[in-house]
Amino acid sequence: MKIKRRTSQADVPSMAMGDIAFNLLIFFVILARAQDDSHLQWQPASAEEINASGTAKVAVLIDNENKYYVNGQQVGASQIAGEVDALLGNTPAGERMVLFKVHREAQALYFEPAIEAISEVGGDIVHVLEQKQE
Amino acid sequence: MRERRRRKLMVEPPSSATGDIAFNLIVFFLVCASVQPDSGRQQTLPRSEQETQEQSENIEVQLGRNTVMLNGNILRQQDFDTVLKRALNGKTRQEDRVVIVKSKPDTPYHHWVVVTEMIESAGGIVTIQTEEEQQVIVPGG
Repeated sequence: MKIKRRTSQADVPSMAMGDIAFNLLIFFVILARAQDDSHLQWQPASAEEINASGTAKVAVLIDNENKYYVNGQQVGASQIAGEVDALLGNTPAGERMVLFKVHREAQALYFEPAIEAISEVGGDIVHVLEQKQE
Repeated sequence: MRERRRRKLMVEPPSSATGDIAFNLIVFFLVCASVQPDSGRQQTLPRSEQETQEQSENIEVQLGRNTVMLNGNILRQQDFDTVLKRALNGKTRQEDRVVIVKSKPDTPYHHWVVVTEMIESAGGIVTIQTEEEQQVIVPGG
């Protein structure tokens, strides 16, 4: 006697595609947020003349608790020079821009060593400020 | 004759599209958030070799919590600009236009930014000098 083999169709449910894409996106967003500094708490100082800064590979930030961050990663004061140097690598002069974001109430005790560290490794400091409102 | 009732159809929005809508909304907000550029002021600090040359001739600015001193004289912030311009007047060489900024540890960043902006707009070249550890040699020790 001949037995017929039953064939069943097994398709990937296309209904779930949207959810998969959504979860993937959230995963990459969280991953990207760990590398930027938009989640850090700081208030820029104000100045009368400011210009739009271009794109920079490196951003050094001092938050409202006087903690140092290089591209969103917390570092110690002594590590700033090494981290910035590693990120800038062999970038030619003129393109070694480093965004310097400092909380307006941060004290010289904290921001001066960071300025020194950046200029020590040949970084061009761009103070990130906001326009002074009259 | 009895009229036939029109059959009412329930029309639901296609639920399979909600995922795509959410995806596109997130992409839209992400793009909006990422195009805000930072703005600020570029500052080039001279290398240490330059500041050691003829240090005595350089203008020295000392900053406190909310005070500013120019070559040892306490000034009001609004007068600082005028006095500094006068001090820089006639100095044509780049090394003579170097202004050494010494800040007390409690000097806030917003005060430092205002003063260094004044120095740069007056034609000065800002350089910072931090308090360095000094080695004390005790005689006969």
